[in-house]
Amino acid sequence: MREHEHEDVVVISPSCIYACTRFRVRKTKLLPREEYLRIMRMSMPEVVAHLGRQEDYQDVMDLAGDFSGAQLIEEAVNRSLARSFRNAMVIAPGDLHTLTGEYLARWDIANVMAILRGTVHNIPRRQVRDLLIPAGEVDSALLDHLLDLATCSEVLEALRGWRLYPVLAEYYRICGERGVFARIENELYRCYYAGLLGLAASGCSGCRELIAYLRFEIDITNMKNLLRLHCAREACDITVVDRTMISGGRIPLSLFRRLYGVETEEEFVNIFLQTEIVPILAQAVRELRQDPNFSSIDAAELVWRRWHQHRRPIHEVEIAITRVRLQQMDSLSRRQPFSVLPVLAYLERKKYEVANLRAIARGKAFGLPSERIWQYIVM
Amino acid sequence: MPVDDIKPTRSGLLIVRRRMALAERVHRLLAMKLDGMMLELIKLADQAARDRKELEEKYAAAREMVAVAAMMEGETGVLLAALSVEAAPTYTAGQKNVFGVCLPDLEPVMVKKTLDQRGYSVLGTSSVIDDAADAYEDLLEAIVASAELEGSIKRLLDDIERTRRRVNALEFKVIPELVEKRRFIEDQRDEMERQEWTRLRRIKKIKEKRAEKP
Repeated sequence: MREHEHEDVVVISPSCIYACTRFRVRKTKLLPREEYLRIMRMSMPEVVAHLGRQEDYQDVMDLAGDFSGAQLIEEAVNRSLARSFRNAMVIAPGDLHTLTGEYLARWDIANVMAILRGTVHNIPRRQVRDLLIPAGEVDSALLDHLLDLATCSEVLEALRGWRLYPVLAEYYRICGERGVFARIENELYRCYYAGLLGLAASGCSGCRELIAYLRFEIDITNMKNLLRLHCAREACDITVVDRTMISGGRIPLSLFRRLYGVETEEEFVNIFLQTEIVPILAQAVRELRQDPNFSSIDAAELVWRRWHQHRRPIHEVEIAITRVRLQQMDSLSRRQPFSVLPVLAYLERKKYEVANLRAIARGKAFGLPSERIWQYIVM
Repeated sequence: MPVDDIKPTRSGLLIVRRRMALAERVHRLLAMKLDGMMLELIKLADQAARDRKELEEKYAAAREMVAVAAMMEGETGVLLAALSVEAAPTYTAGQKNVFGVCLPDLEPVMVKKTLDQRGYSVLGTSSVIDDAADAYEDLLEAIVASAELEGSIKRLLDDIERTRRRVNALEFKVIPELVEKRRFIEDQRDEMERQEWTRLRRIKKIKEKRAEKP
């Protein structure tokens, strides 16, 4: 997709209009709220049978011989996710294709790291194979080839064509070295976001909104990770905070560094209120608790309490924030129907549809009550 | 020398008296040890009951956390994080002496880990993985503590049983036998003394009769 601007008139290529329409149609085919309500009332075999009748989840029947129960559902939805994302790559033309590929690189990172860890730690290949979700650019064939390789130097050699290979080569110089994977993975994700922001900054329809969306995602991720680091058993130094924070968000990293050292409520709340996380967090908690009076200051104090007690973010609130972000993405994609936004809205919605089905299956398998499971559903 | 082989002589009586004194002292000491071990057992049993309850709560919490982790990240995400762990949790086994009984002293090693030691990346995982890891680390630590306590109780019970048998043997077998033997020797010695006295008296009478005769 490329915009041609002539005297303030934006011309969008027909292939882009066609692709965006297809993505919007696909998005309408995703499971609606009523469908989740129905699935929640079903038993596990009924869920399996119901998914088997859905066009997207027919894999459930092929996998029924190897897996059962929640595991079967998780495997089937993972396959559906991988297939949908690969199809999305095929449909997306030009710049959209590049952006989609870059966006899906996070799945490649997870797959490549699983293979490298499996190779170095001598984990059975079949066990590693079951953990891979080939939803990125590195396809099943290449993943299978990587799994067949005996040493990590061969794996690295085979990954030369991968877009994040330079990062891997830079940080993983000694093959078989242990204790470095976490740092490499962090660097890969940092480069992933840098690459995605760089590509989005190249200029395309909806890229400005995409950058805003990504920057907010980075802010939220940084804040969550700062809380995680703060409540870790051993206090970490500022270099660890620096290594873990992703640059490119709206909130400068210096603010996170300042926040990490704060131990008084007033200072923390004052700094936190400056961030753009607060309104979204307040909105998310308002929707979660059905409390219209929950203000930004309440949100800042909520985060302070978790911070002060060295406790991690509340998962239900994290999910609520994701819901708000997806609503924003949907409204943005409606405002710019022929841009990169409908593609990403579909990819995000599909990701959370799979996550929802998985949450229902796992929640039912663990015998959690429906009300509890419902809190983890993103719609 | 078995009790039966002791001869009813003065030296035999001295041997029996020495053995009785020893047996009574041992009995007193073992009875005290038994009381001490019983008190320790009651203390450990109370603690073990509390720990077992806590362990069950931690197990339920860990199961719930892993359920939430599996719901949010999928089993794939949880397993990927689990595969990242490079240092397996273990324990060192030592011993501590309580009333002469060697009780196990287990020390968890690499059970509670820092984020760095866990091996997974912060950016590749979410806080739910940390929560699940924390919950399972707490559970593992509680299992090690509970194993140490329950092992201690088992060994203490074995030793209490053994000590009780010894105390009972001393109280109902060894000491009564020695008392019986002492009484037997004393009776024998009294008898011998009476016989000797009678014999001397008889001789005296014979001598007196002989002296009366012209």
